[in-house]
Amino acid sequence: MGKRIVVDARGSSCPGPIVELSKAYRNAAVGDVIELWATDPGVKADTQAWAEKTKNKIESIKEDQDKIIIVIDIENR
Amino acid sequence: MEKIVIVGGGAGGLILANSLDPKKFDITVIDKSPITIFQPAYLYIAFKGAHANITKPIRSILKKGRKFIEEEVIKIDLEERKVYTKNNSYSYDKLVIATGTITDTSKMKGLKEINDQFGDYHTNIENAQKVWKSLNNFKGGSLIIGMSSPICKCPPSPLEGAFLAEEFINKKGLKNKSKITFFTPYPRAYPSEPINEVIEPLLKSRNINIMTFFDLDYIDTEKKTIYSIEGDEISYDLPIIIPPCVGVNIEYNPSNVLDEDRFIKADKYTMQINGFDDAYAIGDATNIATAKSGVTAHLEAKVLANRLNGIDDKFNGRTNCPFDVGYGKGTFVIGSYTQPVVKYPPTRIKHMMKKVMQLIYWQSLKGTFDFAFDIFFKMTDPEKLNKKYK
Ligand SMILES: Cc1cc2nc3c(=O)[nH]c(=O)nc-3n(C[C@H](O)[C@H](O)[C@H](O)COP(=O)(O)OP(=O)(O)OC[C@H]3O[C@@H](n4cnc5c(N)ncnc54)[C@H](O)[C@@H]3O)c2cc1C
Repeated sequence: MGKRIVVDARGSSCPGPIVELSKAYRNAAVGDVIELWATDPGVKADTQAWAEKTKNKIESIKEDQDKIIIVIDIENR
Repeated sequence: MEKIVIVGGGAGGLILANSLDPKKFDITVIDKSPITIFQPAYLYIAFKGAHANITKPIRSILKKGRKFIEEEVIKIDLEERKVYTKNNSYSYDKLVIATGTITDTSKMKGLKEINDQFGDYHTNIENAQKVWKSLNNFKGGSLIIGMSSPICKCPPSPLEGAFLAEEFINKKGLKNKSKITFFTPYPRAYPSEPINEVIEPLLKSRNINIMTFFDLDYIDTEKKTIYSIEGDEISYDLPIIIPPCVGVNIEYNPSNVLDEDRFIKADKYTMQINGFDDAYAIGDATNIATAKSGVTAHLEAKVLANRLNGIDDKFNGRTNCPFDVGYGKGTFVIGSYTQPVVKYPPTRIKHMMKKVMQLIYWQSLKGTFDFAFDIFFKMTDPEKLNKKYK
């Protein structure tokens, strides 16, 4: 089991969350899970494009009251 | 009298010092350098071979009644309220940090070598001159302009470099023999979508290739190839790569006022450093989520001057970054914390406005054109513009 990395990018708007995600990805390894928190709605499409590009898997996209939570399995790094 | 120490005599520090009344405050600016530089001109040194003098002595910009100390700050103790240089220490009632950023080529393998060889246009005058030399030695092949990190001074400047490089290559008749590629860690050429809709078609019409989601991993200088952590690669003949932009090397107590890139964590409305009511950070030195630009430093300095005078002013995140798209045209990236970036089309007039800024820059640090800026910022209010340009 890898580590679970929580990336809190709430409040930063386009392209903030992706910047935070790619910073976390730099230090991640295969088997890790990145949990991205964001408020900017653009994050969903951008993260999907990012995951396709980097060949990583989006486990889930959930919305709770104050944030969007995207869970990504790192399968490629 | 309240003692205000400002560390850094660049755009933000000087505008603030000149905006405060020396009859009300005891104002000291500390800078390691005797001169201040008009950094936007790096772009024109690098891509047009510009020769104009772009420096001025800090003392000549500071208005009467402000003190200047030329020393390098090495440590700031926010608990003890002390600023340390190599030989002295200074205490303060209120502290303002305006130390800007530096570039760091040590972060990625191969980056220092290619930076030494080809230069860049975000570090200093010498490196910008090196880019101009490299361009003039270029005989065709693969020309790369790229951002090695998502954080960069003046967000349009990476793409401005790509546009001006294309103009240069085209005018020299090398376009048929060359391929120009722009790489960025962002999902699109320009991170914010509305202005990207204006910029991307222009890049395409000039045959500038765009590689998105390209986070520089390392450079193999023998194979002349750049690799990304996403798994892409590009080979180069002339690579002009903007090194990562980070905060300066000052030690802080407590150290947790810095983020992992050494930017100072400050409140985006008040510029107050997290956890301290007597210390502030303005301009490029902060982690505030807005453009690292002279305009931002200017507006933050004005808000902070009001706050130090007891007026409850707040910074609204306004950006106004000029964007040179080559061939004498330009636009601006205008937005704020509450307004999305305007889809603002390039024109000749907007490019001329950027040129005017260079002419009035030194005077604007003294506050001479404050009235004109007020009018300009009102005329280009993003809320108003967003209604017009949809
Ligand atoms: C290519 C390029 C194009 C640009 N174009 C534009 C543009 O068109 N419009 C725009 O608004 N902005 C532009 N900018 C950005 C603009 O130059 C900066 O955002 C602006 O200078 C920031 O001001 P500042 O006061 O935060 O920092 P700076 O102006 O960088 O000043 C920082 C000061 O702190 C001092 N310092 C640092 N460390 C220490 C220390 N340890 N001790 C003492 N002193 C120290 C430095 O010597 C320096 O004088 C551009 C920048 C570049 C590189």
